[in-house]
Amino acid sequence: MSYVRRLPVYLLLDCSGSMSGEPIESVRQGIKMLVNELKGDPQALETACLSVITFASVAQQTSPLTELMLFKEPKLEASGATSLGGALKVLRECIDKEVRKTTENQKGDWKPLVFILTDGMHTDDDEFDRQTADIKSLKVANIIAVGAGPYVEQSTLKRITDNVLLMNTASAGDLSKFFAWVSGSIKMSSKSLDAKPGGAIELPPPPQGFTIVP
Amino acid sequence: MAKKNQHIEKAILMNDTEIEYVLTDNPPRGGMKHTYFTPDRKFAIQFFNKEEDAENPQMHSRLENIVGLYNPTLAEEYGGAMGNTKETAAYFANLFCWPVALIKYPEFGVVCPTYPPNFFFGKHAVKSGVNLDMAGKDKKSRWFTSRAISKCLADDECGNFQTMLRLSISLARAVRRLHTAGLSHSDLSSNNVLIDPKTGTCVVIDIDSLVVPGVFPPEVAGTKGYIAPEVLETMDLPFDDPGRKLPCATTDLFALPVLLYEYLLKRHPLDGPKIYTTTSTEDDEYMQYGPMATFIENPHDTSNRPDDLQVTIHDLGPYLEKMFLQAFVEGMHDPEKRPTAAQWEKALVKTWDLLQPCPNSNCKAKWFVLHDVRNPVCPHCGTRLRADDVIHVRLKKPMRGRKGQWQQTGEINLYDNMPLFKWHFLANVYPDEKMQDRTMQAYISHQGSEWYLVNNALEGMLSPKGNLVPIGQAVWLRNGEMFPTSNQQDALLMEVVKG
Repeated sequence: MSYVRRLPVYLLLDCSGSMSGEPIESVRQGIKMLVNELKGDPQALETACLSVITFASVAQQTSPLTELMLFKEPKLEASGATSLGGALKVLRECIDKEVRKTTENQKGDWKPLVFILTDGMHTDDDEFDRQTADIKSLKVANIIAVGAGPYVEQSTLKRITDNVLLMNTASAGDLSKFFAWVSGSIKMSSKSLDAKPGGAIELPPPPQGFTIVP
Repeated sequence: MAKKNQHIEKAILMNDTEIEYVLTDNPPRGGMKHTYFTPDRKFAIQFFNKEEDAENPQMHSRLENIVGLYNPTLAEEYGGAMGNTKETAAYFANLFCWPVALIKYPEFGVVCPTYPPNFFFGKHAVKSGVNLDMAGKDKKSRWFTSRAISKCLADDECGNFQTMLRLSISLARAVRRLHTAGLSHSDLSSNNVLIDPKTGTCVVIDIDSLVVPGVFPPEVAGTKGYIAPEVLETMDLPFDDPGRKLPCATTDLFALPVLLYEYLLKRHPLDGPKIYTTTSTEDDEYMQYGPMATFIENPHDTSNRPDDLQVTIHDLGPYLEKMFLQAFVEGMHDPEKRPTAAQWEKALVKTWDLLQPCPNSNCKAKWFVLHDVRNPVCPHCGTRLRADDVIHVRLKKPMRGRKGQWQQTGEINLYDNMPLFKWHFLANVYPDEKMQDRTMQAYISHQGSEWYLVNNALEGMLSPKGNLVPIGQAVWLRNGEMFPTSNQQDALLMEVVKG
């Protein structure tokens, strides 16, 4: 019997048409690298579970929440629109279903860590409005939204979370830095203890060339 | 040899000597520092992540003290710690990865030796079929103490109970050495102690967050599971608030037994089934490691006791059981009551003398603490020893000023081929860093139901009848016999107790 609590990690990845070519290939490589990196860290390997939700014309969970040792990389293809609102809906359903709550009889999981990567504007306004109406106040997860390239609107991402990061391009170099940073953040979260329950999460400094949106 | 395209930089040390290092794009990054290596990879060159740390005069002063005045890995004659001989310096150089020099250019930094090669996993570290690539990873304790992960490691990587006890003694000794000098590590954890269970060795790393007497303490967060409850409870208070508890020697004395408990029992002393609160996982965890922390083997409060405990602190023998209770029951929320590192070292060494090989060749632990000779059962696999295979001796030393009176100093279980050393025959000799002579003085031979003590190198060894036993000859050990083991002045008395 193990009494180890899990750290659920959700990656919400933009797979719209604009990501096709080099960007989506970099994302594939990035996930591979991320999983390898985390498997090299005993605390992360012990506690972190990973899920991938992709969004294009539709949003769907492509990898269910799985411990790292058993994680299989999803097949990613880029085409279509950008249903970020739909992705948030899928995220909430998955958290409801997959993340264990602390009850009288079971040790719950930590608050999930969610990384959103997008390179453009969402195309599903209604759903996006519905989802962002209460996503901040519910605090179901610690969400970090990262925008890549010139078509991202900061204020939109700010409606999802206060933690918004921008990178200049969706180039291979920047995406690889992004995944390295995600890996660092997960490692850090699996080691440090939340001294003030409910306080802000601590993340490593963002890579060079990334800006934190205040 | 530097490879092509390697970008070599030069750093200048405080004493103006130059040292080369290889500049890389993504240097490994810890909480405080990032690391480059010298071209021969014998040394790590570390710089601070934050400018304010690199330029902090308190940090400079602390590190100068660590590299010099308080350095137990450097003999006093070379500028190391007071009273440190070349021999003790060499001994502790194996237990610590201690900074050797400070860098002043291109910016303030630290030079550390790299870890010895046995603290890195090789190619065959995991069981076949396990999808993990461990080659080249350093052997953080965590790989071995987490049950979920250690299951994946190849059997020979995991050592056995004896090698875990051996490295536990080394760790307690290392912490004792720090505390004797007034230093405290302040961030002892399964990440900062590398262990090699194969050889039973350990090395303490990340020495630069040490608390040095008289110098402003570092602001370390500590690592989950190893932060003392009182530190966690007061972490929200401002750094200079008198109520804020900072890492110090007594908090090391929480982290040390957590590690020892993990090494010997492969579980964490606070990870049990108890749910402290259902408001959130974060709140529950805060209670578990902070204000409500309850030892899973607390005899007075079994609310956190897992129902599948097989091997317990009782099976570690009387010395360690007492110490764990003192650390995790009396001392859990009362730091002053925690046993000192010296007490841990002593209890572990005494426990070492109670080790017994398990006769079951499939037993993974291979060794156990035989603390009840009337009930000689291996707690790891349940195998029972035959009465003929159980024998122990009591060691007694002459009482000062009372001729003919003796005081018991130790108790040892014997087994076939067991080596015996100077400290088994002479009073006031201890198997610590000062004892350089580690040649086998004698060994035990078990034939049929009889036991013999064979002289290997002991001058003036005596038989129970008082006759000289030359090297190569043996003494028959019979139940109830009591005799001085040699004609040397400080000779210990041996009393034989069978079955």
